[in-house]
Amino acid sequence: MKAIVVVLSIAFSILLSVEEVKAQCDPSVYTEACIPQLAEGFNFVKSYEINGEGGAKDKIEYSYVFAKGTQYFLNICAEGDQTDGIVVSLYDSNRKKVGTSYANGNFNRGIIYPCNATGIYYITFTFEGSQSHCGGAVLGFKR
Amino acid sequence: MKKLSLLTCIGLITLWSCDSGSQIDEQAFLDSLQTAENNAPVISDEVLESILQQIPSPLEIAVLLKESGTNYDISLLNGTSQISSYNSNFKKALNLGVYGTDLGYTNIYEQNQDAFEYLTAIRDLAEGLSIGQFFDFGVIRRLATNSRNLDSLLLITTKNFNNINSSLQEQQRANLSVLLLTGGWLEALHIICQVTEKNMDNDELKERIGEQKIILENIMLLLSFYSESNLNIKELADRMAELQAQFDSIDITQTYAESTLEEVNGIVTISNNSTTTINITDDNVREISRITSSIRDYIID
Repeated sequence: MKAIVVVLSIAFSILLSVEEVKAQCDPSVYTEACIPQLAEGFNFVKSYEINGEGGAKDKIEYSYVFAKGTQYFLNICAEGDQTDGIVVSLYDSNRKKVGTSYANGNFNRGIIYPCNATGIYYITFTFEGSQSHCGGAVLGFKR
Repeated sequence: MKKLSLLTCIGLITLWSCDSGSQIDEQAFLDSLQTAENNAPVISDEVLESILQQIPSPLEIAVLLKESGTNYDISLLNGTSQISSYNSNFKKALNLGVYGTDLGYTNIYEQNQDAFEYLTAIRDLAEGLSIGQFFDFGVIRRLATNSRNLDSLLLITTKNFNNINSSLQEQQRANLSVLLLTGGWLEALHIICQVTEKNMDNDELKERIGEQKIILENIMLLLSFYSESNLNIKELADRMAELQAQFDSIDITQTYAESTLEEVNGIVTISNNSTTTINITDDNVREISRITSSIRDYIID
């Protein structure tokens, strides 16, 4: 009986701690806040959750097919006005870096990419000295 | 001690049930179990999700058409009177995607009365798939009756479709998500092909058709995960294979160039001279259009 109680208690504790980690980061709050911050004329297409699970994950990656002749805007939102060390970088289908929001030592809140080459692009979020490792981003487009 | 064990068990069961995710009705749950069992792909959820989220929004094509000066043409769209004939989950999911694209097209052209018709059809199909909870029809009706609210309507409907896709994947019903995206993509291809056939001198439209080769490769991959175990999806994939064969004759070449970055007010603008060149002939367009129409007829009839 003691063994059963110990096993169940351990399982209970693990489940509780998993729930606690989940509760610490709710990226949907940031993605919602981010949509109105899309620059003028951009149509919202997708939102991206950025949950670094308290630092357990150092990179979160998504991908999307960008089309020639279209401008894309990726906007980051995190706690407060700043990006909390969250950086978005864009890579082309050959994994060559196209650009990043971290430039000249500044954590910029977004990137605009006027696309001339259709293909799959990788949208990567990383954390540079982030406190919460939690945020959201949205993708918009315009012609 | 027995009480402690009992409490722990109750706690565990409660936690487990709290984590079960979105609420779906009993019949939908049974359907999803059956569907999941019949269609379980051999790939991980993460890989499936990563391919699904690559598929671009059909709105991009609607915006391209509007900005290229093409007039609104409702005859290009699937009529909403067809909805009663979509009885299986297979047809419902495909046509939910078709109507989603048609709704985006009506929204972009600010045709709010037509948009409302498509919203009604979408709500009915979504309810048939037990994913109708994402549509707050009161809000949508209010937005659709005033043309000043079309931006908000577009935003809400885009969010709804994103939520539907996420929910289907969480419910292990990603096969329906694949069908929804396939239907939506094919409808957008149909619309742009019909417009381009009447404007063969518009290279931008022809190029955009050629670029669909990249997206079709992903869609074929997604369908292949389910076509072994689902006869409907296999038939659809077989029909789409004819389309892919036509796209195979289109060459896409890429040249790479380094980027430069410019920071203005917290936004980095990337200047990049990498380009793609799409070699597509008028015959390619006509043949793609013909095959697309044939597959679309199979979906909407």
